[in-house]
Amino acid sequence: MIPIEYWLVFSSLLFAIGAYGVMSKKNAIVVLMSIEIMLNAANINFVAFSSYHTTLHGVAEASGQVFALFSIAIAAAEVAVGLGIILAVYRRYQTIDVDKINILRW
Amino acid sequence: MLEYAWLIPVFPFVAFLLISLLPKRTLFWEDGGGYAIGGAASAFIVSMLVIWDVINGHTLTGPAAPEATWLVIGSFTIKFGIWIDQLTALMLIVVSVVGTLVVIYSGGYMHEEGGRRRRYYAEIMLFISVMYGLVIASNYLEMFIFWELVGLCSYLLIGFWYEKPSAASAAKRAFIVTRVGDIMFMAGIIIIFKYVGSFDFETLFHGGGFASMPANMQTLSTALIFGGAIGKSAQFPLHEWLPDAMEGPTTVSALIHAATMVKAGVYLTARTYPLLVATPDSLILVAVIGGVTALIAATVALVATDIKRVLAYSTISQLGYMILGLGAGGYLVIHASTPNGYSAATFHLMNHAFFKALLFLCAGSVIHAVGTNDMRLMGGLGKKMRITSTTMLIGALAIAGVPPLSGFWSKDEVLAAVYHAGDWDPVFTLLWILGIATAFMTAFYMFRMWFLTFTGEPRSEYHAHESPKIMTVPLMILAGLAIVSGFALFIGQGFKGFMAGAIGDTPIHYEAEPLGDIAVEIFTDPLTYVSLVLAVAGILIAYRIYYMPGFDRSVFARGVPGAFQRALENRWYISKFYDDFAYKVVYGFSIVADLFDRYVIDGMVNGFAYLGANTGNRIRKAQSGNVQRYASLIVVGIVLLLIFVIYVVPWGRGL
Repeated sequence: MIPIEYWLVFSSLLFAIGAYGVMSKKNAIVVLMSIEIMLNAANINFVAFSSYHTTLHGVAEASGQVFALFSIAIAAAEVAVGLGIILAVYRRYQTIDVDKINILRW
Repeated sequence: MLEYAWLIPVFPFVAFLLISLLPKRTLFWEDGGGYAIGGAASAFIVSMLVIWDVINGHTLTGPAAPEATWLVIGSFTIKFGIWIDQLTALMLIVVSVVGTLVVIYSGGYMHEEGGRRRRYYAEIMLFISVMYGLVIASNYLEMFIFWELVGLCSYLLIGFWYEKPSAASAAKRAFIVTRVGDIMFMAGIIIIFKYVGSFDFETLFHGGGFASMPANMQTLSTALIFGGAIGKSAQFPLHEWLPDAMEGPTTVSALIHAATMVKAGVYLTARTYPLLVATPDSLILVAVIGGVTALIAATVALVATDIKRVLAYSTISQLGYMILGLGAGGYLVIHASTPNGYSAATFHLMNHAFFKALLFLCAGSVIHAVGTNDMRLMGGLGKKMRITSTTMLIGALAIAGVPPLSGFWSKDEVLAAVYHAGDWDPVFTLLWILGIATAFMTAFYMFRMWFLTFTGEPRSEYHAHESPKIMTVPLMILAGLAIVSGFALFIGQGFKGFMAGAIGDTPIHYEAEPLGDIAVEIFTDPLTYVSLVLAVAGILIAYRIYYMPGFDRSVFARGVPGAFQRALENRWYISKFYDDFAYKVVYGFSIVADLFDRYVIDGMVNGFAYLGANTGNRIRKAQSGNVQRYASLIVVGIVLLLIFVIYVVPWGRGL
């Protein structure tokens, strides 16, 4: 049995990597991928706590896993929408560099 | 009946509301003239009932009078009450008679004004209402409120033809100049309030409150209250607004600027008498201002060419007489305990209201027929306007002081009072000389006006005709009053005995003497013949110069008389002085104020605006439109928040 702390450290690192990607990458596709990484970090937390709950009380606790599944489904939808937006932006501006898409200001 | 006296101002006020608020098609006759006559006549009837009670010896003053609480400030209450004594009754006679007749006369005079008559009648009704309010007020504050309201109505009515620049500026001038006096009046009552703690006539006139004030404050307060009268009654040096006020309709001049509102100043002085007799220095001021005004205004009237301006200066001059009579009368009350001066001045107030309203309405009838105010363009109207010329002759004889018309009795009484006051202060002897000089000039300029208007040949093209009955009937009534009102001196207990009751606590030793004796006294006194001879001389000189042919009037335009005449035509340069003062001093001050406003005040406002705009300009750079930067800031913010919650909050709790 791997202790819960390991999972948490792992998911935190994964989340941090995702956040770093969102903040620093210029390519919108890479930003979208980074968001996926952050979502998966959250999923790992769900599953880890679900398993931890079972260990503590000796009773199977499924809600964490159910939420992870929900989250995966939502992530799929989000990717579809996100890619759609990126495609529309590309058609309009011929670029997907997020530094250049900055007209929504002032 | 007296306790219902508060109804008097209510009737005209209701008429004012009806005329101003009803739909146009329900105004009926003369666009509201019917309501106006109704309101004025109702007030007239109630006034007459009240006056009848007062003549029968009843008065209603002090705590017995009905009153309504207006304001409660801490333990101090301000009340609206009524104060009916002989002086109030006298003013009620004037306002009700002249007010009603003028409103009737307006039915003819204002006929051609069309839809604007509605505004005219509404304003006239408001004026009559607040004028009644002024004369029945029972404390200085209430009086002051109505005092300001009559000033407002005067402003509105002088500016009735507001599209004419001269009328608009005359209205403003009247308002601003009288405001100078009003400020003094207010300052006076504030001083009294500071020491006595009350505005009520009852407390001030009958209690010991006023006597407990320091002597110099007593003098200052009464002098300042008289300052209000200087403004309202157009006394020197604030008299120049009244001739300009002639820009309004003639009916307004007759009602407001001859018979009622300008009398408010005299009324105020007479009402303040119990306080004035305690301050002889103020009485000297009152008398000197009155005497100087009477003379200065009469001299300017000698050369005025505008028929209404002659009457306006004449009004100022006669008001000066009343003020002079009151000033001298105070000395008689103090030293001789007789009400002679007081009764003479108030008597002149009543008589003057009748004959001056008559003269103004006659002038209105002439202007209505000829279409100009300039006497140089008139002449020969006597044959075409028999009623107007006859009634105006009666008015002119009355004001000139020819017996047995009303002006003779009261003017003679005033001059006699001034002469007798000379026994206690020589300044009154000097003022008496000014007074008789004025009497002479009055007779001269009145007949100059009459001859220029009604005799000789027409000096311009016009088709004059007599005015309609609605205008001539009030003229005839007023002419009748101008003839008989002087005999009030001999009715009942005599006018002196009547007015003696209004002076207040000051001991008056008035013994009713047989009324025949009063007449004998008047006609055996050489002073009577001095003023009578001067009046007749004035009339004869006017007759020689302006009626008989062959007099070369150009001698007045050359040499010393010419210089004198030019000074008079320029109204002693007093008006010019005010204009120059307004232009140079006030304008200079305005420039400084303007610069201060533009550079200091505006500079501060602009500075703040610039500060805001500049800061915003810098801060908006943060909103770059770069989503990744926003995300970074959010992360940094959350991290900082977590650090705060995890480390700082428990640390703080541990302290």
